[in-house]
Amino acid sequence: MVVVGSGAGGGTTVRVLTEHGIKCALLEAGPMLVPGKEFKEHQMPYDVPHRGAEDGGAAYFGKGKPFGYFSTTSGGWELDGEPYTVAQGSEFRWFRSRILGGRTNHYGRMSFRFSPYDFQPYTKDGLGYDWPVTYDEISPYYDKAERFVGVTGENHNDLPSAPNGQFLRPPAPKVHEMLIKKSCDKLGIYCIPNRRAIVTEPMKGRIPCHYCGQCGRGCQTASAYSSAQVEVFPALRSGKLKVFDNAMVREVLTDGNGKATGVVYIDKATRREKVIRARAVVLAASACESARILLNSKTKDFPSGVANGSGVVGRFLMDTVGFGLSGYVPALEGMPHYNTDGFGGAHLYMPWWMWDKHNKLDFPRGYHIEIGGGYGMPGIGSFQGAARRAGYGKGIKDIARKEYGASIGFAGRGEMIPNIHSYCEIDRNVVDRWGIPVLKFHFKWSDYEWKQARHMEKTFADIITTMGGRVTGLSAAQREADGISTPGTIIHEVGTVRMGKDKRDSALNKYCQAHEVKNLYVVDGGFFVSNPDKNPTLTINAFAWRAADHLAEEMRKGNV
Amino acid sequence: MSNSTSTRRDALRQIALGLTAAGAMRELDAQAAQHVHSAAAAETKGGKYTPKLLNAHEWATITKLSEIVVPADERSGSAVDAGAPQFIDLLCSQNEELAVIFTGGLSWFDAEMRKRTGNEFLSASASEQTGLLDDIVAAERAVREQGAEQALFARAEQYRGFSGYTVKPGSDLAPGVRFFDWARRLIVDAYFTSPIGVKDVNYIGNLTLSKYEVPKEAIDYAFNRSPFKIV
Repeated sequence: MVVVGSGAGGGTTVRVLTEHGIKCALLEAGPMLVPGKEFKEHQMPYDVPHRGAEDGGAAYFGKGKPFGYFSTTSGGWELDGEPYTVAQGSEFRWFRSRILGGRTNHYGRMSFRFSPYDFQPYTKDGLGYDWPVTYDEISPYYDKAERFVGVTGENHNDLPSAPNGQFLRPPAPKVHEMLIKKSCDKLGIYCIPNRRAIVTEPMKGRIPCHYCGQCGRGCQTASAYSSAQVEVFPALRSGKLKVFDNAMVREVLTDGNGKATGVVYIDKATRREKVIRARAVVLAASACESARILLNSKTKDFPSGVANGSGVVGRFLMDTVGFGLSGYVPALEGMPHYNTDGFGGAHLYMPWWMWDKHNKLDFPRGYHIEIGGGYGMPGIGSFQGAARRAGYGKGIKDIARKEYGASIGFAGRGEMIPNIHSYCEIDRNVVDRWGIPVLKFHFKWSDYEWKQARHMEKTFADIITTMGGRVTGLSAAQREADGISTPGTIIHEVGTVRMGKDKRDSALNKYCQAHEVKNLYVVDGGFFVSNPDKNPTLTINAFAWRAADHLAEEMRKGNV
Repeated sequence: MSNSTSTRRDALRQIALGLTAAGAMRELDAQAAQHVHSAAAAETKGGKYTPKLLNAHEWATITKLSEIVVPADERSGSAVDAGAPQFIDLLCSQNEELAVIFTGGLSWFDAEMRKRTGNEFLSASASEQTGLLDDIVAAERAVREQGAEQALFARAEQYRGFSGYTVKPGSDLAPGVRFFDWARRLIVDAYFTSPIGVKDVNYIGNLTLSKYEVPKEAIDYAFNRSPFKIV
C-alpha cells in the first residue's frame, strides 16, 4: 500500500490501514517532523533576538512565515522552486505545506461535521451538486473521527447547522465572548461552545490541553490534534509503516488493465526519480496536488489522466468565502486583566442561523462566524495602531495600556457554490524544479459569494454595535473594495477530484475509490462535492477512515 | 539562547510528566514556564552589546530617538531599556535594504536638523528634537488623510490583479516621514516584545493550567459597563 501525503487524509489512512494489519509506505513531500525541534510552543518574543520579526526583519517585508515566526507552518503560498501559474484575469493563491502532518500542524482545529442538508444541496436549492452519500451513512464515521481526534463541543437539539456529536467538555467562555453572545442573543444568532480538535480530558495517551493558547505553534503534548503526532507516529510504532520523506510524487503508474501499480516520485535529497510499487495507491496530497498527480499520469488508457475519463479532475475548485471585521468595545476597556489564552481559538462560535430563512436572503447557503479578541501575547505589530495614533512619546504607552484587550474581531467562513470558471489544469509550459508540470489556476467568485460577504459585513457590524462597540479598521467604502477574501487564502481548497454516483461526472465513488481504477483512492479535500461552511478537516478525517475500512475490506475479499 | 531553549524543554517535559504521572488533573507550577523567560531576559540585559552595523554616531542617534519615541515613565522603562537599538542594529546587520533605510534615515535627520538649527540631531536641544518629530508626525497625518482615498483605490486595483501601486508622501519632509515610520515601527515593536513591554501592558499568559477559568470580577466589570445586564 502506498499513501501519498501525510495530512489529515493520509495520516488517518495509514493509521487505520496499519490497524487492519496492512503494511504501508507513506510519502511526504517535505521533511520528517520533529516536534521538539520544530514547535516553538511557550517561547516569548524576547526569547529570540529578532523578537519574531525573523532574520533581517523579513516579517516587515512580507517575507516572513505566513502565520508568523512562532507558527509551525512549513510551507506557504509561495515555495521556492515549486511555482504555479494563474490565468490572466483570475486570482488564486495556493497554500502548500511541506512537512510530515501537513497543514494539521498549524490549522485552526475547527472541527465541524456537515449537516444532513449539506449532503443534498442541489436537491435543496437547485445549485451545485448532491453528494453520493447521505448524512446517515457518514455519521458513524463522524462519531469515530470525533472520538479519535478529540473534539470539544456541546449538543444542541434545535440546531440543524451544528449537528450533535461526540464531544469533549468545552472550556468556559471568555468575557468578550460572553458579551458577543449577549449581542447575538438579541440579534437571533446562535452562539455556542466551539468545536475544536483539542483534548480537554485525558484521551488515548494524549494529555489534556494546558491552555497556553498556542496550538498554531504545534503542541508538544499533542493535546491539539495533528496528523503527524496522533496518526502517523502511532502507526510508525506498529512497525507496519515506513515513511519516505522529501518524496515528491509525479504520477500514478498503471498496468494497462485499469489497475494502479505504484507511484513515481522524485527523491528531493538526490533529485533522482524513484518508483514504489504497491497493491493499491491512496492519494492524500491535498485537493490540488492530487489533481495534479492524476492529470500528470497520462497513458494510452488514460489520455486525460488516470481516473479522469469524466474530465472532472481539476474542475469545481472551491475555497471558503472569507470576510473579516474588527471592533472596539469600550466595555472591555480597563477590565482587570486575566489570562485569555484559553485553548487557542475562540471558546464560542456562531453556526449558521438562517438555514430556513433563505426567502429573506439574496444569496444561497450560509456561513459560520469565528471570534477573535482578548489579551493576546504581544508580538511584532501588536501595538502599531497605538503608535501611529499617538505619533510618538508616552502617548503610545497610554493608548496601548488603555486599549489592550478591548478589541474584538469576526471572521465569516461561508459556502461557495462550485462554478465552471474555477478550476485548475496542467500548465504545459512550466515545470517545477523536480521537472513536474505545474498547475495553472482559474478562479472567479460569483455574485452568490459577494452577496454573502456583504451579509457578513452587516451582521458583524450589528453584533459590534449591539454590544456598545464601534467598527474599526477599514471604512465602509474600503470594506466594499476589499469585499471578500482572495481566493485560496482561507486554505480550504477542495472539490478537484469529486465523488459522485455517476462516473460520467465524477472521478470517485462514495468510498473515495476511483470509478475507473479500483485500487486507487483519493482521500484529501479533492473528493468534496460541495464546500459547506464547515471547515473541511473533520470531514476528511471521517471519509478517509471510511475509505481505509473499505479498502481493507476490498483487499480481504480479493477485489483489490 | 541554548540555555533558555533547554530550560524551555525542561518546562515542557515537566508539563508532560506532571499531567501523565499524576493521572488526575492538578494545578501545575506556572513558574516552570516563567523561569525560562526570566532567564532569557537576563541574558538580553546583561553584557555589553557591540553594534554590528551602525557606527558609534548612528548608534547614539538611534538610542536617543528610541528614548523619545517610547520614553520611560513612572510605570516602566524606555525603548532603550527594552533593547530597541540592539534590535534595530541586529536586523540592519542582516538586511541590506533595512540598513539603507536606517543609515540613510538617520543621516537625513542630521541634515534636516542642521538646516534648522546648525546642529546635528544629537546636539540639538530637546525642544528642537521634538519639534522635528512634531513636524514629521503632522506631515504623516496629512499624507495619511490624502492617501486614504488613493489607498482605497489601490486596494480595489490590487484585488483585480494589479500591483506596484504605492502612495507617495508629497512634502519636503517625505523622506523623514518614511524613515520615521520605519524607526517607530521597530522601536515600538522592540519595546512591547521585551520583558518590560510585556509587563507594562500586563499580559498574563503563556502558562500551563489544568483548568481554564474566567475571573468573576472581570465578567462583572465588563457587563456593568455594557448595554447588557449581568449574567
